[in-house]
Amino acid sequence: MFDHNKSRDENSNVIKYWRKHPKSIEKYQFVYHFLPREDKKKRADLLDNKAILIYCVLIVFVSVVFRFVPKFAPGVLGYASNITISDLLKYTNQKRKENGVPPLKLNAELSAAAEKKAQDMFKDGYWAHVAPDGTEPWDFILDEGYDYIYAGENLAKNFSNSKEVVEAWFKSPSHKSNLIGANYDEVGFAVVNGVMDGYETTLVVQMFGRPRQPSMLATVGDEKGLPGENKASAEGIEPASESLGESVSSPEQENSQETPSSEVGKEEELAEGSYLAQSNANPAIDITTATKTVSLAFGIFVSVLLALDIIYSRKKGIRKFTGLTLAHFMVLVVVIISIWLVFKPGLVI
Amino acid sequence: MMENIKENRVEYFILLVAIATFMVLIYKFRFNKGMLIFLSGVGSASYIVWGVIHHLIRGKLTKNIVYEYVLFGLLVFLLFFSVLSF
Repeated sequence: MFDHNKSRDENSNVIKYWRKHPKSIEKYQFVYHFLPREDKKKRADLLDNKAILIYCVLIVFVSVVFRFVPKFAPGVLGYASNITISDLLKYTNQKRKENGVPPLKLNAELSAAAEKKAQDMFKDGYWAHVAPDGTEPWDFILDEGYDYIYAGENLAKNFSNSKEVVEAWFKSPSHKSNLIGANYDEVGFAVVNGVMDGYETTLVVQMFGRPRQPSMLATVGDEKGLPGENKASAEGIEPASESLGESVSSPEQENSQETPSSEVGKEEELAEGSYLAQSNANPAIDITTATKTVSLAFGIFVSVLLALDIIYSRKKGIRKFTGLTLAHFMVLVVVIISIWLVFKPGLVI
Repeated sequence: MMENIKENRVEYFILLVAIATFMVLIYKFRFNKGMLIFLSGVGSASYIVWGVIHHLIRGKLTKNIVYEYVLFGLLVFLLFFSVLSF
């Protein structure tokens, strides 16, 4: 049997205790930072408009810090990568095979041209097909003595692995036309690490060509059999921990009469392994991981609070004068999934 | 929660369709950062409009609720943008 007098006494004791120890009430008030309030018909304090505004300001602040760090400490922030030329060649030819196009053969002159293009971009700090001084991709190819009928260029930066690079080129119509272009017989790659705009970066340059003379075709086609695969870095390239990714494509270009003729056969250079580099960029802080972590931390934190709000409000029958909590929660879950699974660091232009 | 969904089933259906469309588009353009930033902006703005229209129809629109949707839309955009801008 319920004893009203006993219950009243207990409540009275609790009230007396709270009056004597006001701090103990404040301790309980803390839960309302995380749980909705029935008396005020509102969400948790950490979900009110002011709190959301503070989260927005904090996210902007962290982004600004990430922008300024490279100016004071170049190379600390960057894009971690593990890109190999052999994988780039493998995935490129895989895409060509899937589209019924003959595979490309690795050509040393095109690889040398690609490497010089990448180094030129680092040296002059540009990110484009055409250099600030007007040098075009074809100039690098011709300088290496590669006499071509057709030539093309794809660039990539900020990618973490070879498959993503090729996948990104394939998803872009202009780059795809180069990647599976039937007018090309040969390809050259460069994977070069360096610091651009303060960020440690990896640039990937892919140059395509069809030699004017069929006898110029490289005879080494099986990348697995090439020595030097997976060596630390390309000869003459300083290893670095920044990974940039840029992709550029150019239309097929017919060579002019004054282009120099190229030497025949480059198996010896390929055998040296200098064009089968891999890039292992390991910056002190991987900017991709850092930005994703910050966004996911805020996203998950707010999502958990919203989930608590939904569960607790339902349990206690709290009705609030606010927007739709479930809708907010659904949208945030989409944000988290997108950032976690879909977003890739690389850029193609 | 179920009452909430039943009560607003048309609005939630529209929101689910919009979310599904958004997911398909961001997967399709996952290597195109410019497009992803554009989609993030459009998605966030659409959510604000969706929320405001929903509360307007129900006659429950207040200044605080408008601020709430604007701030929440801004938060969603910034979460995307802070990743995509690097």
